[in-house]
Amino acid sequence: MMSHASVNLKKYHLIRNLVFGWVTIVLLAGFLLDIPKINILEHTARNLYFHVPMWFTMMAAAFVSGYHSFKVLQTGDPVRDIRALQAARIGTFFGILGLLTGIIWSKFTWYIGTDVWWNFDPRQIMVTFQLLIYGAYFVLRSTFDDPMKRARISAAYNLFAMSAIPFLLYVIPRQMESLHPGAEGNPAFSEITHPIMRMVFYPAIIGFIGLFWVLYTQRVRVALMKYRITQDSEL
Amino acid sequence: MINWIIGSWAVLEKDLRLEMRSRYALNMLLMFVLSSLLLMALAIGQNPISEHMQIALLWVVIMFSAAIGLGRSFVAEEERGTVLLLQLNVPGTQVFAGKLVFNFLLLLAVDGLSLTVFSLLLNMQIFNLPLLITALVLGSLGVAGATTLLAAIIARATNRGPLLPVLLFPMLIPLLLSVVFASRQALAGGFGWIGAQTELVTMGAFAGVVITAAFLLFEYVWTD
Repeated sequence: MMSHASVNLKKYHLIRNLVFGWVTIVLLAGFLLDIPKINILEHTARNLYFHVPMWFTMMAAAFVSGYHSFKVLQTGDPVRDIRALQAARIGTFFGILGLLTGIIWSKFTWYIGTDVWWNFDPRQIMVTFQLLIYGAYFVLRSTFDDPMKRARISAAYNLFAMSAIPFLLYVIPRQMESLHPGAEGNPAFSEITHPIMRMVFYPAIIGFIGLFWVLYTQRVRVALMKYRITQDSEL
Repeated sequence: MINWIIGSWAVLEKDLRLEMRSRYALNMLLMFVLSSLLLMALAIGQNPISEHMQIALLWVVIMFSAAIGLGRSFVAEEERGTVLLLQLNVPGTQVFAGKLVFNFLLLLAVDGLSLTVFSLLLNMQIFNLPLLITALVLGSLGVAGATTLLAAIIARATNRGPLLPVLLFPMLIPLLLSVVFASRQALAGGFGWIGAQTELVTMGAFAGVVITAAFLLFEYVWTD
Protein backbone atom coordinates (compact mmCIF):
# COMPACT_ATOMS: atom_id res chain seq x y z
CA MET A 1 0.00 0.00 0.00
CA MET A 2 1.30 3.45 -0.81
CA SER A 3 2.71 5.16 2.23
CA HIS A 4 0.80 8.25 3.14
CA ALA A 5 1.99 8.26 6.73
CA SER A 6 4.38 11.14 6.44
CA VAL A 7 2.41 14.35 6.25
CA ASN A 8 4.57 17.36 6.67
CA LEU A 9 2.85 18.55 9.82
CA LYS A 10 4.52 21.93 9.91
CA LYS A 11 3.43 22.79 6.38
CA TYR A 12 0.00 21.38 7.05
CA HIS A 13 -0.50 23.44 10.19
CA LEU A 14 0.72 26.51 8.37
CA ILE A 15 -1.80 26.14 5.57
CA ARG A 16 -4.55 25.22 7.99
CA ASN A 17 -3.98 28.28 10.14
CA LEU A 18 -3.77 30.44 7.04
CA VAL A 19 -7.14 29.15 5.86
CA PHE A 20 -8.75 29.68 9.25
CA GLY A 21 -7.41 33.20 9.45
CA TRP A 22 -8.55 33.93 5.92
CA VAL A 23 -12.07 32.68 6.50
CA THR A 24 -12.31 34.63 9.77
CA ILE A 25 -11.32 37.83 8.00
CA VAL A 26 -13.82 37.10 5.22
CA LEU A 27 -16.58 36.56 7.78
CA LEU A 28 -15.76 39.77 9.61
CA ALA A 29 -15.46 41.76 6.40
CA GLY A 30 -18.68 40.28 5.12
CA PHE A 31 -20.66 41.60 8.03
CA LEU A 32 -18.82 44.74 8.98
CA LEU A 33 -17.88 46.38 5.70
CA ASP A 34 -20.27 48.69 3.90
CA ILE A 35 -22.20 47.45 0.93
CA PRO A 36 -23.87 49.61 -1.72
CA LYS A 37 -27.59 50.06 -1.65
CA ILE A 38 -29.25 47.48 -3.88
CA ASN A 39 -32.99 47.49 -4.48
CA ILE A 40 -34.94 44.66 -2.91
CA LEU A 41 -31.86 42.91 -1.57
CA GLU A 42 -30.47 45.61 0.74
CA HIS A 43 -28.52 43.90 3.48
CA THR A 44 -29.44 40.38 2.45
CA ALA A 45 -26.90 40.92 -0.33
CA ARG A 46 -24.33 39.92 2.26
CA ASN A 47 -25.58 36.39 1.72
CA LEU A 48 -23.74 36.59 -1.59
CA TYR A 49 -20.50 36.03 0.29
CA PHE A 50 -21.79 32.73 1.64
CA HIS A 51 -24.27 31.34 -0.85
CA VAL A 52 -22.23 31.49 -4.06
CA PRO A 53 -18.94 30.21 -2.56
CA MET A 54 -20.85 27.14 -1.32
CA TRP A 55 -21.70 26.39 -4.92
CA PHE A 56 -18.14 26.81 -6.10
CA THR A 57 -16.92 24.62 -3.27
CA MET A 58 -19.41 21.88 -4.09
CA MET A 59 -18.27 21.94 -7.71
CA ALA A 60 -14.66 21.69 -6.57
CA ALA A 61 -15.61 18.74 -4.33
CA ALA A 62 -17.38 17.09 -7.25
CA PHE A 63 -14.28 17.42 -9.42
CA VAL A 64 -12.01 16.06 -6.72
CA SER A 65 -14.35 13.14 -6.09
CA GLY A 66 -14.65 12.41 -9.81
CA TYR A 67 -10.91 12.55 -10.32
CA HIS A 68 -10.26 10.09 -7.50
CA SER A 69 -13.05 7.80 -8.74
CA PHE A 70 -11.38 7.80 -12.14
CA LYS A 71 -8.09 6.88 -10.49
CA VAL A 72 -9.79 4.06 -8.58
CA LEU A 73 -10.93 2.55 -11.85
CA GLN A 74 -7.51 3.06 -13.36
CA THR A 75 -5.33 1.76 -10.52
CA GLY A 76 -7.61 0.02 -8.03
CA ASP A 77 -5.88 1.80 -5.16
CA PRO A 78 -8.07 1.74 -2.01
CA VAL A 79 -6.61 5.03 -0.83
CA ARG A 80 -8.08 6.73 -3.89
CA ASP A 81 -11.43 5.28 -2.92
CA ILE A 82 -11.11 6.83 0.54
CA ARG A 83 -10.35 10.18 -1.06
CA ALA A 84 -13.29 9.96 -3.43
CA LEU A 85 -15.68 9.11 -0.59
CA GLN A 86 -14.51 11.90 1.69
CA ALA A 87 -14.68 14.47 -1.10
CA ALA A 88 -18.24 13.33 -1.74
CA ARG A 89 -19.15 13.67 1.94
CA ILE A 90 -17.74 17.17 2.26
CA GLY A 91 -19.30 18.13 -1.06
CA THR A 92 -22.69 17.01 0.19
CA PHE A 93 -22.25 19.09 3.32
CA PHE A 94 -21.41 22.24 1.36
CA GLY A 95 -24.16 21.54 -1.13
CA ILE A 96 -26.78 21.32 1.62
CA LEU A 97 -25.50 24.57 3.08
CA GLY A 98 -25.66 26.25 -0.32
CA LEU A 99 -29.19 25.02 -0.88
CA LEU A 100 -30.35 26.19 2.55
CA THR A 101 -28.78 29.63 2.22
CA GLY A 102 -30.32 29.95 -1.23
CA ILE A 103 -33.78 28.86 -0.17
CA ILE A 104 -33.91 31.22 2.77
CA TRP A 105 -32.59 34.07 0.66
CA SER A 106 -35.03 33.48 -2.17
CA LYS A 107 -38.06 33.21 0.06
CA PHE A 108 -37.76 36.88 0.86
CA THR A 109 -36.22 38.38 -2.22
CA TRP A 110 -37.50 36.65 -5.33
CA TYR A 111 -40.57 38.47 -6.58
CA ILE A 112 -42.06 35.95 -8.92
CA GLY A 113 -43.19 33.21 -6.64
CA THR A 114 -42.28 35.26 -3.65
CA ASP A 115 -42.70 33.75 -0.24
CA VAL A 116 -42.46 30.21 -1.56
CA TRP A 117 -39.77 27.81 -0.49
CA TRP A 118 -39.05 26.27 -3.88
CA ASN A 119 -38.95 28.08 -7.20
CA PHE A 120 -38.03 25.35 -9.69
CA ASP A 121 -35.10 27.40 -10.77
CA PRO A 122 -32.56 25.50 -12.92
CA ARG A 123 -29.72 26.11 -10.48
CA GLN A 124 -31.78 24.87 -7.56
CA ILE A 125 -32.48 21.76 -9.58
CA MET A 126 -28.79 21.34 -10.29
CA VAL A 127 -27.80 21.41 -6.65
CA THR A 128 -30.58 18.98 -5.81
CA PHE A 129 -29.39 16.72 -8.58
CA GLN A 130 -25.85 16.66 -7.25
CA LEU A 131 -27.08 16.01 -3.70
CA LEU A 132 -29.30 13.16 -4.90
CA ILE A 133 -26.38 11.65 -6.80
CA TYR A 134 -24.24 11.72 -3.70
CA GLY A 135 -27.05 10.30 -1.59
CA ALA A 136 -27.38 7.45 -4.07
CA TYR A 137 -23.59 7.03 -4.04
CA PHE A 138 -23.58 6.61 -0.25
CA VAL A 139 -26.50 4.18 -0.38
CA LEU A 140 -24.79 2.18 -3.11
CA ARG A 141 -21.63 1.90 -1.04
CA SER A 142 -23.60 0.53 1.89
CA THR A 143 -24.93 -2.39 -0.15
CA PHE A 144 -21.54 -3.93 -0.79
CA ASP A 145 -19.57 -6.08 1.61
CA ASP A 146 -16.40 -6.64 -0.38
CA PRO A 147 -14.21 -3.48 -0.24
CA MET A 148 -12.63 -3.91 -3.67
CA LYS A 149 -15.97 -4.38 -5.37
CA ARG A 150 -17.41 -1.51 -3.40
CA ALA A 151 -14.62 0.82 -4.46
CA ARG A 152 -14.77 -0.11 -8.14
CA ILE A 153 -18.50 -0.13 -8.61
CA SER A 154 -19.24 3.01 -6.64
CA ALA A 155 -16.48 4.76 -8.60
CA ALA A 156 -18.19 3.64 -11.81
CA TYR A 157 -21.50 5.07 -10.56
CA ASN A 158 -19.88 8.34 -9.55
CA LEU A 159 -18.40 8.83 -13.01
CA PHE A 160 -21.58 7.70 -14.75
CA ALA A 161 -23.67 10.19 -12.85
CA MET A 162 -21.23 12.97 -13.63
CA SER A 163 -21.76 12.44 -17.33
CA ALA A 164 -25.17 14.04 -16.93
CA ILE A 165 -23.81 17.19 -15.32
CA PRO A 166 -22.93 19.08 -18.54
CA PHE A 167 -26.60 18.85 -19.43
CA LEU A 168 -27.68 20.45 -16.25
CA LEU A 169 -24.92 23.01 -16.36
CA TYR A 170 -25.28 24.26 -19.91
CA VAL A 171 -28.24 22.85 -21.75
CA ILE A 172 -31.17 23.02 -19.36
CA PRO A 173 -30.56 26.55 -18.04
CA ARG A 174 -30.64 27.84 -21.59
CA GLN A 175 -34.11 26.48 -21.98
CA MET A 176 -35.72 27.24 -18.65
CA GLU A 177 -36.54 30.58 -17.21
CA SER A 178 -34.48 31.41 -14.21
CA LEU A 179 -34.77 33.88 -11.39
CA HIS A 180 -31.09 33.78 -10.61
CA PRO A 181 -29.14 36.94 -11.43
CA GLY A 182 -26.85 36.38 -14.38
CA ALA A 183 -29.17 33.86 -16.05
CA GLU A 184 -31.59 34.38 -18.91
CA GLY A 185 -33.34 37.70 -18.81
CA ASN A 186 -31.86 38.93 -15.57
CA PRO A 187 -29.08 41.44 -15.15
CA ALA A 188 -25.86 39.79 -14.15
CA PHE A 189 -24.88 40.20 -10.59
CA SER A 190 -21.78 42.07 -11.64
CA GLU A 191 -23.95 44.73 -13.23
CA ILE A 192 -25.78 45.47 -10.06
CA THR A 193 -22.98 45.02 -7.56
CA HIS A 194 -20.44 47.56 -6.68
CA PRO A 195 -16.78 46.64 -7.09
CA ILE A 196 -16.44 46.88 -3.36
CA MET A 197 -18.47 43.71 -2.94
CA ARG A 198 -16.08 41.86 -5.18
CA MET A 199 -13.31 42.68 -2.72
CA VAL A 200 -14.95 40.34 -0.22
CA PHE A 201 -16.60 38.02 -2.71
CA TYR A 202 -13.51 36.64 -4.44
CA PRO A 203 -11.60 36.08 -1.19
CA ALA A 204 -14.73 34.37 0.14
CA ILE A 205 -14.62 31.85 -2.68
CA ILE A 206 -10.94 31.18 -2.07
CA GLY A 207 -11.52 30.96 1.67
CA PHE A 208 -14.32 28.45 1.46
CA ILE A 209 -12.47 26.27 -1.00
CA GLY A 210 -9.58 26.40 1.46
CA LEU A 211 -11.99 25.36 4.21
CA PHE A 212 -13.07 22.45 2.04
CA TRP A 213 -9.44 21.47 1.64
CA VAL A 214 -8.82 21.51 5.39
CA LEU A 215 -11.91 19.46 6.20
CA TYR A 216 -11.21 17.06 3.34
CA THR A 217 -7.60 16.35 4.25
CA GLN A 218 -8.45 15.92 7.90
CA ARG A 219 -11.16 13.42 7.13
CA VAL A 220 -8.92 11.58 4.68
CA ARG A 221 -6.24 11.25 7.31
CA VAL A 222 -8.68 9.92 9.89
CA ALA A 223 -10.13 7.50 7.35
CA LEU A 224 -6.62 6.32 6.45
CA MET A 225 -5.82 5.65 10.07
CA LYS A 226 -9.07 3.76 10.48
CA TYR A 227 -8.30 1.78 7.35
CA ARG A 228 -4.87 0.84 8.64
CA ILE A 229 -6.23 -0.33 11.96
CA THR A 230 -9.48 -2.01 10.99
CA GLN A 231 -9.24 -2.56 7.20
CA ASP A 232 -12.55 -0.77 6.97
CA SER A 233 -12.49 2.53 5.15
CA GLU A 234 -15.99 3.85 5.67
CA LEU A 235 -16.07 7.10 7.57
CA MET B 1 -17.01 -4.98 -36.64
CA ILE B 2 -19.22 -7.73 -38.03
CA ASN B 3 -18.13 -9.98 -35.20
CA TRP B 4 -19.18 -7.34 -32.74
CA ILE B 5 -22.64 -7.10 -34.27
CA ILE B 6 -22.96 -10.88 -34.42
CA GLY B 7 -21.96 -11.17 -30.77
CA SER B 8 -24.39 -8.47 -29.62
CA TRP B 9 -27.14 -10.00 -31.69
CA ALA B 10 -26.44 -13.39 -30.09
CA VAL B 11 -26.85 -11.92 -26.61
CA LEU B 12 -30.03 -10.16 -27.66
CA GLU B 13 -31.43 -13.27 -29.28
CA LYS B 14 -30.68 -15.34 -26.20
CA ASP B 15 -32.53 -12.90 -23.97
CA LEU B 16 -35.46 -12.62 -26.35
CA ARG B 17 -35.76 -16.36 -26.67
CA LEU B 18 -35.68 -16.90 -22.91
CA GLU B 19 -38.24 -14.18 -22.51
CA MET B 20 -40.57 -15.57 -25.12
CA ARG B 21 -40.46 -18.99 -23.49
CA SER B 22 -41.89 -17.91 -20.18
CA ARG B 23 -42.81 -14.27 -20.80
CA TYR B 24 -42.33 -13.87 -17.10
CA ALA B 25 -40.69 -10.46 -17.01
CA LEU B 26 -42.78 -9.08 -19.85
CA ASN B 27 -46.09 -10.07 -18.32
CA MET B 28 -45.17 -8.83 -14.90
CA LEU B 29 -44.02 -5.52 -16.32
CA LEU B 30 -47.11 -4.98 -18.42
CA MET B 31 -49.35 -5.88 -15.49
CA PHE B 32 -47.45 -3.40 -13.36
CA VAL B 33 -47.93 -0.68 -15.96
CA LEU B 34 -51.63 -1.47 -16.23
CA SER B 35 -52.23 -1.45 -12.48
CA SER B 36 -50.38 1.81 -11.88
CA LEU B 37 -52.14 3.52 -14.75
CA LEU B 38 -55.46 2.37 -13.39
CA LEU B 39 -54.50 3.49 -9.92
CA MET B 40 -53.66 6.94 -11.19
CA ALA B 41 -56.75 7.23 -13.32
CA LEU B 42 -58.98 6.26 -10.40
CA ALA B 43 -57.20 8.68 -8.11
CA ILE B 44 -57.71 11.49 -10.62
CA GLY B 45 -61.34 10.62 -11.17
CA GLN B 46 -63.67 12.38 -13.53
CA ASN B 47 -62.09 15.79 -13.29
CA PRO B 48 -60.17 16.77 -16.40
CA ILE B 49 -56.53 17.51 -15.77
CA SER B 50 -54.25 19.85 -17.67
CA GLU B 51 -51.87 18.69 -20.39
CA HIS B 52 -48.96 19.33 -18.03
CA MET B 53 -50.35 16.85 -15.55
CA GLN B 54 -51.22 14.25 -18.16
CA ILE B 55 -47.70 14.14 -19.57
CA ALA B 56 -46.14 14.33 -16.13
CA LEU B 57 -48.12 11.34 -14.88
CA LEU B 58 -47.47 9.37 -18.05
CA TRP B 59 -43.74 9.82 -17.70
CA VAL B 60 -43.76 9.08 -14.00
CA VAL B 61 -45.39 5.73 -14.74
CA ILE B 62 -42.85 5.01 -17.47
CA MET B 63 -39.93 5.86 -15.17
CA PHE B 64 -41.20 3.68 -12.35
CA SER B 65 -41.88 0.82 -14.74
CA ALA B 66 -38.35 1.12 -16.09
CA ALA B 67 -36.91 1.10 -12.60
CA ILE B 68 -38.88 -1.95 -11.56
CA GLY B 69 -38.99 -3.97 -14.75
CA LEU B 70 -35.64 -3.45 -16.44
CA GLY B 71 -33.52 -4.33 -13.46
CA ARG B 72 -33.96 -8.01 -14.07
CA SER B 73 -31.69 -8.15 -17.09
CA PHE B 74 -28.53 -8.76 -15.08
CA VAL B 75 -30.01 -10.05 -11.85
CA ALA B 76 -31.53 -12.96 -13.79
CA GLU B 77 -28.05 -13.91 -15.00
CA GLU B 78 -26.81 -14.00 -11.45
CA GLU B 79 -29.75 -16.08 -10.33
CA ARG B 80 -29.38 -18.59 -13.13
CA GLY B 81 -25.64 -18.79 -12.61
CA THR B 82 -24.84 -17.99 -16.20
CA VAL B 83 -22.69 -14.94 -15.53
CA LEU B 84 -19.40 -16.76 -15.88
CA LEU B 85 -20.54 -18.42 -19.09
CA LEU B 86 -21.43 -15.06 -20.55
CA GLN B 87 -18.18 -13.49 -19.43
CA LEU B 88 -16.17 -16.25 -21.05
CA ASN B 89 -17.97 -16.34 -24.34
CA VAL B 90 -18.77 -12.74 -25.18
CA PRO B 91 -16.69 -9.56 -24.74
CA GLY B 92 -18.14 -6.97 -22.38
CA THR B 93 -19.28 -4.36 -24.87
CA GLN B 94 -21.25 -6.93 -26.84
CA VAL B 95 -23.02 -8.10 -23.69
CA PHE B 96 -23.92 -4.53 -22.90
CA ALA B 97 -25.13 -3.81 -26.43
CA GLY B 98 -27.34 -6.90 -26.48
CA LYS B 99 -28.85 -6.14 -23.08
CA LEU B 100 -29.32 -2.49 -24.01
CA VAL B 101 -31.37 -3.34 -27.09
CA PHE B 102 -33.37 -5.87 -25.08
CA ASN B 103 -34.19 -3.30 -22.42
CA PHE B 104 -35.01 -0.73 -25.07
CA LEU B 105 -37.51 -3.12 -26.69
CA LEU B 106 -39.08 -3.87 -23.30
CA LEU B 107 -39.36 -0.16 -22.64
CA LEU B 108 -40.98 0.43 -26.03
CA ALA B 109 -43.60 -2.16 -25.08
CA VAL B 110 -44.15 -0.27 -21.83
CA ASP B 111 -44.43 3.01 -23.73
CA GLY B 112 -46.96 1.63 -26.17
CA LEU B 113 -49.15 0.20 -23.46
CA SER B 114 -48.97 3.30 -21.26
CA LEU B 115 -49.71 5.69 -24.08
CA THR B 116 -52.68 3.68 -25.34
CA VAL B 117 -54.27 3.03 -21.99
CA PHE B 118 -53.57 6.47 -20.57
CA SER B 119 -54.90 8.34 -23.59
CA LEU B 120 -58.09 6.30 -23.38
CA LEU B 121 -58.53 6.62 -19.63
CA LEU B 122 -57.81 10.34 -19.44
CA ASN B 123 -59.25 11.29 -22.80
CA MET B 124 -56.02 12.87 -23.99
CA GLN B 125 -56.33 15.09 -27.04
CA ILE B 126 -53.27 14.22 -29.09
CA PHE B 127 -52.80 16.66 -31.93
CA ASN B 128 -49.49 15.36 -33.19
CA LEU B 129 -49.07 11.64 -32.68
CA PRO B 130 -45.77 11.23 -34.60
CA LEU B 131 -44.19 13.88 -32.39
CA LEU B 132 -45.39 12.17 -29.24
CA ILE B 133 -44.11 8.82 -30.42
CA THR B 134 -40.74 10.33 -31.36
CA ALA B 135 -40.45 11.93 -27.93
CA LEU B 136 -41.31 8.65 -26.24
CA VAL B 137 -38.81 6.68 -28.32
CA LEU B 138 -35.95 9.13 -27.81
CA GLY B 139 -36.66 9.39 -24.12
CA SER B 140 -36.82 5.62 -23.80
CA LEU B 141 -33.42 5.34 -25.44
CA GLY B 142 -31.88 7.48 -22.72
CA VAL B 143 -33.75 5.68 -19.96
CA ALA B 144 -32.76 2.27 -21.33
CA GLY B 145 -29.10 3.32 -21.55
CA ALA B 146 -28.97 4.51 -17.96
CA THR B 147 -31.00 1.61 -16.61
CA THR B 148 -28.93 -1.10 -18.27
CA LEU B 149 -25.67 0.05 -16.72
CA LEU B 150 -27.29 0.58 -13.34
CA ALA B 151 -28.86 -2.90 -13.56
CA ALA B 152 -25.35 -4.30 -14.03
CA ILE B 153 -24.22 -2.28 -10.99
CA ILE B 154 -26.97 -3.51 -8.69
CA ALA B 155 -26.59 -7.11 -9.83
CA ARG B 156 -23.21 -7.04 -8.06
CA ALA B 157 -24.64 -5.70 -4.82
CA THR B 158 -25.28 -8.13 -2.04
CA ASN B 159 -28.09 -6.33 -0.25
CA ARG B 160 -30.51 -4.88 -2.72
CA GLY B 161 -33.68 -3.16 -1.80
CA PRO B 162 -35.30 -0.53 -3.96
CA LEU B 163 -31.79 0.22 -5.08
CA LEU B 164 -32.40 0.69 -8.78
CA PRO B 165 -34.92 3.53 -8.36
CA VAL B 166 -32.59 5.26 -5.89
CA LEU B 167 -29.73 5.15 -8.38
CA LEU B 168 -31.77 5.75 -11.49
CA PHE B 169 -34.06 8.68 -10.75
CA PRO B 170 -31.39 11.29 -10.02
CA MET B 171 -29.67 10.38 -13.28
CA LEU B 172 -32.85 10.88 -15.24
CA ILE B 173 -33.64 14.35 -13.95
CA PRO B 174 -32.12 16.18 -16.95
CA LEU B 175 -33.87 13.83 -19.33
CA LEU B 176 -37.21 14.20 -17.58
CA LEU B 177 -37.18 17.96 -17.92
CA SER B 178 -36.67 17.78 -21.67
CA VAL B 179 -38.92 14.85 -22.38
CA VAL B 180 -41.94 16.23 -20.54
CA PHE B 181 -41.61 19.52 -22.38
CA ALA B 182 -41.24 17.84 -25.76
CA SER B 183 -44.16 15.45 -25.21
CA ARG B 184 -46.38 18.30 -24.15
CA GLN B 185 -45.88 20.02 -27.49
CA ALA B 186 -47.87 17.22 -29.11
CA LEU B 187 -51.00 17.95 -27.08
CA ALA B 188 -53.37 20.88 -27.04
CA GLY B 189 -51.66 24.18 -26.43
CA GLY B 190 -48.39 22.87 -27.76
CA PHE B 191 -46.39 24.12 -30.69
CA GLY B 192 -45.73 20.85 -32.47
CA TRP B 193 -42.40 20.00 -34.03
CA ILE B 194 -41.13 23.59 -34.01
CA GLY B 195 -41.66 23.97 -30.30
CA ALA B 196 -40.10 20.66 -29.47
CA GLN B 197 -37.05 20.64 -31.71
CA THR B 198 -34.52 21.93 -29.16
CA GLU B 199 -35.74 19.43 -26.61
CA LEU B 200 -35.62 16.56 -29.08
CA VAL B 201 -32.01 17.39 -29.88
CA THR B 202 -31.25 17.54 -26.16
CA MET B 203 -32.84 14.16 -25.62
CA GLY B 204 -30.84 12.66 -28.47
CA ALA B 205 -27.68 14.17 -27.01
CA PHE B 206 -28.51 12.85 -23.56
CA ALA B 207 -29.07 9.35 -24.92
CA GLY B 208 -25.77 9.57 -26.80
CA VAL B 209 -23.80 10.75 -23.77
CA VAL B 210 -25.35 8.24 -21.40
CA ILE B 211 -24.90 5.28 -23.72
CA THR B 212 -21.30 6.23 -24.48
CA ALA B 213 -20.47 6.62 -20.79
CA ALA B 214 -22.19 3.31 -20.07
CA PHE B 215 -20.15 1.51 -22.74
CA LEU B 216 -16.94 2.94 -21.31
CA LEU B 217 -17.79 2.03 -17.73
CA PHE B 218 -19.39 -1.36 -18.33
CA GLU B 219 -16.13 -3.30 -18.39
CA TYR B 220 -15.24 -2.11 -14.89
CA VAL B 221 -18.61 -3.11 -13.52
CA TRP B 222 -18.90 -6.40 -15.34
CA THR B 223 -15.53 -8.01 -14.75
CA ASP B 224 -14.22 -8.82 -11.31
